[in-house]
Amino acid sequence: MISLAGRDILHGWGKFVLTGVGLGLLIGVTLSMAGVYRGMIDDAQALLDNSGADLWVVQKDTLGPYAEPSSLNEDTERPIRAMAGVDRAAGVTYLTMQIAHEGTDVRVMVVGAEVAVPGEPGQPPHLLAGRRIVQGHYEAVADVKTGFAIGDRVKVRRNSYRIVGLTSRMVSSGGDPMLFLSLKDAQDAQFDKDSDAIVRQRARTASSPVLNPPGNPAVAEAVNAVQASSNNVNAVLVTVKPDADAGQVAAAIRRWQRVTVYTRADMESILIDKMIANSARQIGMFLVILAIVSAAIVAFIIYTMTIGKIREIAVLKLIGTRNRTIAGMILQQALGLGLIGFAVGKIAASFWAPFFPKYVLLLPADSVRGFFAVMAICSLASLLAIHAALKVDPAEAIGG
Amino acid sequence: MAEGIRIENLVKTYGSGDTAVHALRGVDMSVAKGEVVGLIGPSGSGKSTLLKCLGAVIEPTSGRMTIGDRVIYDDRWKAGDLTALRRDLIGFIFQAPYLIPFLDVIDNVALLPMLAGKPNAQARKEARDLLEALDVAHRAAAMPSQLSGGEQQRVSIARALVNRPPVILADEPTAPLDSVRALAVVDLLNSMAKQFDTAIIVVTHDEKIIPTFRRLYNIRDGVTIEEERGVLKAQAAK
Ligand SMILES: Nc1ncnc2c1ncn2[C@@H]1O[C@H](COP(=O)(O)OP(=O)(O)OP(=O)(O)O)[C@@H](O)[C@H]1O
Ligand SMILES: [Mg+2]
Repeated sequence: MISLAGRDILHGWGKFVLTGVGLGLLIGVTLSMAGVYRGMIDDAQALLDNSGADLWVVQKDTLGPYAEPSSLNEDTERPIRAMAGVDRAAGVTYLTMQIAHEGTDVRVMVVGAEVAVPGEPGQPPHLLAGRRIVQGHYEAVADVKTGFAIGDRVKVRRNSYRIVGLTSRMVSSGGDPMLFLSLKDAQDAQFDKDSDAIVRQRARTASSPVLNPPGNPAVAEAVNAVQASSNNVNAVLVTVKPDADAGQVAAAIRRWQRVTVYTRADMESILIDKMIANSARQIGMFLVILAIVSAAIVAFIIYTMTIGKIREIAVLKLIGTRNRTIAGMILQQALGLGLIGFAVGKIAASFWAPFFPKYVLLLPADSVRGFFAVMAICSLASLLAIHAALKVDPAEAIGG
Repeated sequence: MAEGIRIENLVKTYGSGDTAVHALRGVDMSVAKGEVVGLIGPSGSGKSTLLKCLGAVIEPTSGRMTIGDRVIYDDRWKAGDLTALRRDLIGFIFQAPYLIPFLDVIDNVALLPMLAGKPNAQARKEARDLLEALDVAHRAAAMPSQLSGGEQQRVSIARALVNRPPVILADEPTAPLDSVRALAVVDLLNSMAKQFDTAIIVVTHDEKIIPTFRRLYNIRDGVTIEEERGVLKAQAAK
């Protein structure tokens, strides 16, 4: 037996392929939407992985440092470092800001990490090029997605920093690439005031008899110095010793310090269940709408193709073609359309994924799921046309 | 002569009550194997209705129809596998050829044996033999839209014959053809009927071919009147 569906498609392949390509672009968009969602999750995982931490110590009762603001004194770190089971502990700051670079603004997350010792949590775990920060000041390591190159000078607030190293896949939970500074520099940047504010602050100190006691200018000097610098961090990242249990260490820190401690699992649930959840629902809505639109397109085109063949279908029935064969022909055409659409969509999605500003992660498993969804949608969409074809009366072929 | 088709007291009423149309009011008809008979009658007299009943496309109201030994319809009739019945027992030829536009000529013909379950190669061989007999084998690879009207009609005749059905029903098969081609089609049907022992009914209005039938049924108000005619050979009419 020959394939009636295949022959019919070959006969009018131009229209069929064009429709398939149109459907394919739609499927490509759908796959990309799923990729955007996977990318967000992967960004969140990368953020947690690359921080190198087992535990996150944050300001008491906050969801910090990624989901809510959190501020701790950097000295919090010292007693933690001394606790049983703790391997390393280091303060970090996070600050999202715009940085001017070669005439455009780049949105980055400025990360302040302790740089004195290599391998402290918070530092970029791997470098693509260049070296790590070795000077305490005015050096930076950037994620390649910032577009910065080694040797570039970038201005963060009032100071200028030289890029000495490049890293990759270091992004904030919002997908902004990271720029690493030494903790001290980052603290300055974070709590930097503009010159007017400093002048005003100094005037206020000078005019206060408490902060500027007559005859003792050293007090005012000291106050100004304290006000101009900051020693706060947003979180203390902790790694535990290989034989220690992260949960138990977290419990111990909670007992001794007025802080909130999150494990890796807690942090994942904060990032993925709380922060990404809304975006996920948003994307889910898009997926549903796209699925409906695709189904409508397939249904419409298959229905039109079938209605255009009513006479032939009547003849086929009259000369002894079974309903099953005719329904099979229509179903195969719908599936063929889905196949072309899926192939085009997969290629399109892979092609345009790198051009998305945020990370688009096309998982093979999602493609497989997408393939079956497309096939299911096409089968459903062909029902209308099959229904119309089965209603055709073979008597119509004989006519009056 | 062996009996091909027998129709006894066939009644077909469309609808019921006040709107009922009595299309056939007790038709009697018989066609021998290898015989071609004409069926004529004014418009609305029930010719197409008769073909549809015999072609197992619509259900008669009452009566009896047999093809060879096989009862197609009687008062104990139950709807069975009409698709297979049409495929195995009846070939159809229409006023327009109604070829399948997306199949080439050979597969338009070979489709029927394929539908009956024959392997593609064998089905195509049977189709080719028949196309040769009908003198269109050289167009076997063409698409129907590339054929002339006469060629298309010959392909549709090949399609009707390919499964060697005991019965062929032709509804106005010569309407779109000029008189030479119309008579050629009738000649063809006659020789095919002889060759394959087929009983053929040709519904026609076509004055050019009416004189060629040895026997004619004239249907009026739903009843048939049989007419014998002196044979006017298609050849002689030219
Ligand atoms: N499906 C139907 N429902 C109701 N009445 C019908 C139906 N089909 C045909 N008829 C009626 O039955 C009668 C016979 O119709 P039929 O089509 O058999 O005529 P015909 O002899 O083929 O005419 P023509 O030469 O014009 O084709 C007509 O009065 C027609 O209106
Ligand atoms: Mg008619």
